Amino acid sequence: MTSQNRRSFFKTIFAAGAAVAVSGTGTLAGSAQAAQAGAIDGICLYAPGLGTASQFVETMRKSAPGTWSVQPLAGSLTDCYFQAALLFEDARKGKTNTLVGLLDQASFVVVHEAIVDRGGRFHYVTNEGGDRVAFSVEV
Amino acid sequence: MSRFVALPKGVSEETFARAINEYRALLGEGRVRTDPASLQSYMKIMIPESEELHKPSAAIYPKSVQEIQKIVAIANKYKTPLWTVSTGKNMGYGTAAPATRGQIVLDLKTMNRIVHVDEELGYCLVEPGVTYFDLQQHFKKNRMNLWVDVPAPSAMASPVGNTADRGVGYTPYGEHFLFSCGMEVVLANGDVIRTGTGGLQNSTSWQTNKWGNGPYVDGLFTQSNLGIITKLGVWLMKGPPPGGYFPFLMKFPKVEMLPDIIKTLMPLRMNQIIPNACIVVNAGWEAAGYFTYDKNGKGTNRETFYKGKDSLPPKVFQQIMDKYDVGAWNFYAALYGSPEQVALNWKYVSGAFKQKFGKDVRIITEREAKDDPIFEYRRQLMMGGSTLQEFGLYNWRGGGGSMWFAPVAAARPSECDQQMKVATEILNKYGFDYVSEFIVGWRDMHHIIDLLYDRTQPEEMKRAYKCFDELLTVFTKNGYGTYRTNTAFMQKVSQSYGQGMRDIHHKLKRALDPNNILAPGKSGITL
Repeated sequence: MTSQNRRSFFKTIFAAGAAVAVSGTGTLAGSAQAAQAGAIDGICLYAPGLGTASQFVETMRKSAPGTWSVQPLAGSLTDCYFQAALLFEDARKGKTNTLVGLLDQASFVVVHEAIVDRGGRFHYVTNEGGDRVAFSVEV
Repeated sequence: MSRFVALPKGVSEETFARAINEYRALLGEGRVRTDPASLQSYMKIMIPESEELHKPSAAIYPKSVQEIQKIVAIANKYKTPLWTVSTGKNMGYGTAAPATRGQIVLDLKTMNRIVHVDEELGYCLVEPGVTYFDLQQHFKKNRMNLWVDVPAPSAMASPVGNTADRGVGYTPYGEHFLFSCGMEVVLANGDVIRTGTGGLQNSTSWQTNKWGNGPYVDGLFTQSNLGIITKLGVWLMKGPPPGGYFPFLMKFPKVEMLPDIIKTLMPLRMNQIIPNACIVVNAGWEAAGYFTYDKNGKGTNRETFYKGKDSLPPKVFQQIMDKYDVGAWNFYAALYGSPEQVALNWKYVSGAFKQKFGKDVRIITEREAKDDPIFEYRRQLMMGGSTLQEFGLYNWRGGGGSMWFAPVAAARPSECDQQMKVATEILNKYGFDYVSEFIVGWRDMHHIIDLLYDRTQPEEMKRAYKCFDELLTVFTKNGYGTYRTNTAFMQKVSQSYGQGMRDIHHKLKRALDPNNILAPGKSGITL
């Protein structure tokens, strides 16, 4: 069970992430429930068209302090599926402790399947308007 | 408040808790999940209904046939229905969510053994959790020159699940059930049967002879809730020699050309000059594949061309066709064999279309297509490759809503044309676009229409539901059957095939599953 403190922290970072997503530069932070604030060693998946890597990193660091790297999901949707699968496996092995993302609908569909196919579960999945989806994966 | 996400109909919380305890005693805590996070992936539906109607009560993960036999015994004891999925990728048909609330998802992805691959005769025997990609990797690893026919979500879908739902693909082996051979099935009473010649002691032909002796029963277990398929035989193509695979595309500029396209291609298809389940794709579907982002992070999708909420006007469709250089119809097919055979057959094919259409057909082969991503996607599908490009459709309109409306048409020019016109009219009336492909079978077409809509808009969801309902009603009145449907409309599709068929399905269900524990509601069959 997530503590009240942590809940409020996640709420804050979600709001920050959603605001940026709406502004068009695009990112999210969402409820990164796997890690304490400040202890995040996270990775953020994003569709490259939704912003640049540096924008994502900056936003993630501001909204959810910790160590963030970002991973553009480039290439075909098939590539997205296998990239997401690898990143999730890596996260499970302990390379990172938080996995979030902001993707278009099509990329999200394949990323979702890549993660559940490997026994993964989601804290949340939220539609940010009709054309993008924010999510956080349990690690 | 219940401690469970949902309960099966007619089962109390106490009874359900006892059942869960028994399932856990059998499989352990980790393989019997009732927590919301574990069930979340089974609630991700794309059909225009509330998730509440399709919430599972639990998900369980067997690893063997023996465990499934024990699971059905518990299910019978407590009347807890089991909704079986293989890998659960039935997107647009209900995904992995049960037809009705409270069923336990029996997720077979944990049974993922490739039991056997026979390179000499080109077949395999697989468990439900094996994906097409797994098979391809197996062929590669073992240097086997074999192709497996794939449906569009090939990388993650399973041959067992897709064949059980009578899905289709794009190579000469495109009709999946036709190219399956032999099943192992757990019945509701726990018995295990092997169909075809599989019942014979030490059978040598389980995956090479489909029929065995007496009534052929494999069909009873497709689109069905009469048993749980635990193994399936699948026939595999021998890969052609170098230079023996020749995919091509023909683009046609006008919607009205559909009947002439069908008229030209069907003789070639029927005499096997074009041997594969080829495809005639409309402009909407084709354009959706070219989704990209602009510099502001905005996807170039339907909205880039048209801000209105109604269907795309023909003028805008034309703009889209011009922008992406796609035809009103786009015909993808392939030739297979020795290079000499392919060269000869290409003369017949290109000659027939040039003669009929003259300058109105543009022919594109691999050489002209270069690195075009949509040509590559189709090239992969027609050789049994792994691609997920079809999901690009979900960016076209946005909002995460998709329902496949999937009537069959006799492969006659007039019938295909009529279906196209009727579907377009109904979709446009409700503000949706006609986004379709015809997959060309042996004598029929699978007319696959993706009803794309925005699930984040409640009004649009209702409209999508009504639209699908009207499509179904009007197509049924015209004598057009639906080959496969989503969980929201299974009952109605079942009714469209008449009381006689419903009665026989019902009698079979009562005989084989008297406690109604196997996927009640699947294909409209329940007790």
